[in-house]
Amino acid sequence: MMRGRAAAVLIMALLASIPAGAQWHGYPTPGMPRNADGTPNLNAPAPRTPDGRPSLAGIWMAPRIRVDLAQGLKQGETVPFTPEGRKIYDERRATNAKDDPGARCLPTGIPVRATLQTPFKIVQTPELTAILYESRTQFRQILTDGRPLPKEVDWPSWQGFSVGRWDGDTFVVETTGFNGKVWLDQVGTPSSDALTITERFRRRDLGHMDIEMVIDDRKMYSRPWSTFAQVVLQPDTELLEYVCEENERDSAKMVGK
Amino acid sequence: MVRLPFAAAFVTSCAVLMLAAPARGHHSFAAEFDADNRVTLSGTITKVEWTNPHTYFYVDVAEEGGKVTSWAVEGGAPNALYRAGWKPTSLKSGDKVTIVGSRAKDGSNLANAISFTLADGRCLFAGSSGPGGEATTNCREATRR
Repeated sequence: MMRGRAAAVLIMALLASIPAGAQWHGYPTPGMPRNADGTPNLNAPAPRTPDGRPSLAGIWMAPRIRVDLAQGLKQGETVPFTPEGRKIYDERRATNAKDDPGARCLPTGIPVRATLQTPFKIVQTPELTAILYESRTQFRQILTDGRPLPKEVDWPSWQGFSVGRWDGDTFVVETTGFNGKVWLDQVGTPSSDALTITERFRRRDLGHMDIEMVIDDRKMYSRPWSTFAQVVLQPDTELLEYVCEENERDSAKMVGK
Repeated sequence: MVRLPFAAAFVTSCAVLMLAAPARGHHSFAAEFDADNRVTLSGTITKVEWTNPHTYFYVDVAEEGGKVTSWAVEGGAPNALYRAGWKPTSLKSGDKVTIVGSRAKDGSNLANAISFTLADGRCLFAGSSGPGGEATTNCREATRR
């Protein structure tokens, strides 16, 4: 009896000594291939789903922060602004992006989400791939149930409408129906309601994924242009709560120059 | 004294606690803070806000002559700090701390943290989206001009 009670106290003490957060951040990801020393083997082969597709599932993050999509251009490329696009971009640069909706906790541009060094989780099912972005608690649904991309959208939106398809081992996501309010990145690369984005996700191995993003917006850019992100799997962590509106004080202090 | 010249001795005594320094880009750094206008604040923490999108640390700094100036210091997102080893209680009201930061452009007593050094010499990363963010790997690097 006493021994049982002592054991119970000991177990409770042990449980109490484990930080609750450790069961989210710091908990070893089940099924993770590991090296002999216990570290995750990020170079293991990319996993596949039961239907043979590459699985993109996992928590991903850029290893370095990039706030400017122009930093992800191919060598020799420049952003092909139209005069209108250039004007908006220059105004935003001149004021250090003080009017970025993202600073007010509104949605950020889809392309920059992959480069901001904030984690996002991909959940993949045959009919739907969801991307859960920790920052600002944003999510996207990429439908793979066979429906086509909408030709006309009567309610344009911040994040648009996304459908996905497989091109070999590459997951191709097309998104249209944007409202033109979103900034594509944090320096102010603009978008309009003419925007479509094509993303190509290719998981090279367990721990590394390339994302190519083609931006087609003939009001802001004279031709489609592409930028890229390389993201790394984040083992042994989980998405944590991020309530952006909780204490957003920056926007009132963003004087610009 | 609110503003001090860069103190090499203080920095070299700073043991590195955090090796990873994930940055969080919630907003344009340059719209709010001046990376070239640094301030060193030595004082006592009076309040901690472990909140999104940024943490805030309030510090009272005693100047020569006894005048106390209150400062607000913006830190990285709590998620970034947590993954870098911080806990919500890593800095508490009453703790003595030296903070190096970039001053707000509006001239108010607000700074964006580059590094925190505790009374025992331990150094905590700021997880900033400006200086003190991802490009730096320790406090010595973070506070180098």
